[in-house]
Amino acid sequence: MTADAAADDAETTAAETEASEAGDSDATATAGTDHAIDGDAILRLRDLDAGYGDLQILSDVVLDVADGEYVTVVGPNGAGKSTVMKTVFGLTTHMGGTVEFEGEPIHGLAPEQIIREGVGFVPQNDNVFPGLSVRENLEMGAYILDEVPEDQIETIYDRFPILRERSEQKAGTLSGGQRQMVAMGRALMLDPDLLLLDEPSAGLAPDLVSDMFDRIDRINDGGTAVLMVEQNAKEALRRCDRGYVLVNGENRYTDRGDVLLADEGVRQDFLGG
Amino acid sequence: MGTTDSSIVDAARARPGLLFVVLLAGLLLVDLAAKLAGVGLGPIGGSLSVDRLGSNLWNGVVIGLVIGLAGIGLSMTYSILSFANFSHGDLVSVGAFSGWGVAFLIAGLGDIPVRALLTVRDAGNASPGAIGAHILTTPGAILVGLVAAFVVTALLAVALDRAFYKPMRDRDGISLLIASIGAALIVRYLLQFGYGSDRRGVTASVDASNLAFDPLGLSVNAHELTILVAAVGLMLAMHGMLQHTKLGTAMRAMADNKDLALITGIPAERVVTATWIIGGGLAGASGYLYVLLRGTIQFDFGWLLLLLIFAAVILGGIGSVYGAIVGGLVIGVVFTTSTIWIPSDFNQAAAFAVMILMLLLRPEGLFGGVTTA
Repeated sequence: MTADAAADDAETTAAETEASEAGDSDATATAGTDHAIDGDAILRLRDLDAGYGDLQILSDVVLDVADGEYVTVVGPNGAGKSTVMKTVFGLTTHMGGTVEFEGEPIHGLAPEQIIREGVGFVPQNDNVFPGLSVRENLEMGAYILDEVPEDQIETIYDRFPILRERSEQKAGTLSGGQRQMVAMGRALMLDPDLLLLDEPSAGLAPDLVSDMFDRIDRINDGGTAVLMVEQNAKEALRRCDRGYVLVNGENRYTDRGDVLLADEGVRQDFLGG
Repeated sequence: MGTTDSSIVDAARARPGLLFVVLLAGLLLVDLAAKLAGVGLGPIGGSLSVDRLGSNLWNGVVIGLVIGLAGIGLSMTYSILSFANFSHGDLVSVGAFSGWGVAFLIAGLGDIPVRALLTVRDAGNASPGAIGAHILTTPGAILVGLVAAFVVTALLAVALDRAFYKPMRDRDGISLLIASIGAALIVRYLLQFGYGSDRRGVTASVDASNLAFDPLGLSVNAHELTILVAAVGLMLAMHGMLQHTKLGTAMRAMADNKDLALITGIPAERVVTATWIIGGGLAGASGYLYVLLRGTIQFDFGWLLLLLIFAAVILGGIGSVYGAIVGGLVIGVVFTTSTIWIPSDFNQAAAFAVMILMLLLRPEGLFGGVTTA
């Protein structure tokens, strides 16, 4: 009985969503819905279904990141934004579709292998080892190498000079912004071609948020492609090359960041008008 | 009354347990001073020689080092694999039997059947003294025995992991704990099956060598000195490994945050294997040294020792390697010095009382929150 009722509910909701979607695209939507790009992509998600255990979160997700591109995924809470990121990194249950990185399928690989392929991941929470020094945190980022890459540590210290000062300090004693730098530095230790950032502004004091976005801009300017999930959608869309709007684990809109920002439907649904 | 008085009263109201412990400790210190001075004031005081106090403290340090050494492995498996390993005590026993078997084999080969030697048994007329298991007469055999204890126990720890714990890696700590009790029973009764259940003497007490030297009026025998050197050496090696090697850093990283270690590319299974090798090996070494201290061996002594090891680890803050060492020393000293006030039958109770007080007053332990680092 209850199951039937729930199924009815779900059907109704789905129908309503479809209706409103159709309505939006007729009336105000100018944002694109062509989720794949024309040229070569280093990251290519096709018809991706994924979730946790038996629970499916993503269905038929299509997403591309070109070489050196800065792509943002936005959407309401529970849209599956973080799940996209975790799926690319092999941390969810793959249920269908493909994830290709630089032309090779990587779905089904373990995180350790995906790191070797050239993907770095900065998770949202608990993204440093608090009991390890700043330097040890960075060294762990290059664990798969035989030798500690001193020149790469220097590059990261040049990028985030405060980390050089705090080199021997335990990461657990750093401020939120500095921890975020340690986390990014760790993910950059292998000089990845693609950096995955899960809500990098979460938990940061408001005055630090724009510094953090500036740092991501500079990482991207250095040639590293960035795929970012962000709660702070307006700022993220302003900064990125392209944005994906995800709703209920499905693609909704895909376009340049400024086009999405200007789109009436996107604004009303996710950006608070 | 002044403000000082009221703030003391407030503090006492806020933490009556702490006040009680401070008062009790003060009373014991006054009593100890009176005893040393030879003053008797009713129930307080009596007589106690400085030598006896000194030897109590020294014995406490030695047994504390052995307990601390065993505690390191228990704390490591707790912090890296997130479960309390109840088979750890029986790993201690395995180290003792395998190590002493090898030591006997080297010291007594030729005169006594190999089977008797390997099962740590004196055959016929041959006493442990005749086999000559003593650090001064057969230092090589004792040393090789220590290495064998480490290696055999490390291998068994890895084998137990592959057989029982690895297939359950994703399960919660309680399931693993119960599995470890099963593993403990299997190991213990295999030991009984292989080695018999009688308590027997192992080391020789050679009179002339009993007194190695006596600094500060303490009588320090050669075996105690061996334990001190071996245990401190192993602890220093452990410290160097944890702080200054890539593997040690990865262990601390795993203890800090397993999920992050996974996405950082740290090969979790290799770190887990290393944890068992080191933790199991140290447990085996500590069992071997414990027998060197006590002079006797019995199939279930490690299991009986496990409670004290747990007390030490909890006292130091479970999950902390350094806490385990300090906790071991505290438990060891309490264990031996408590006999100044209470009959020696109750000295284990004194050690557990200290652990319970710690849990009541500072549940995170001495080094709480500072995981493996």
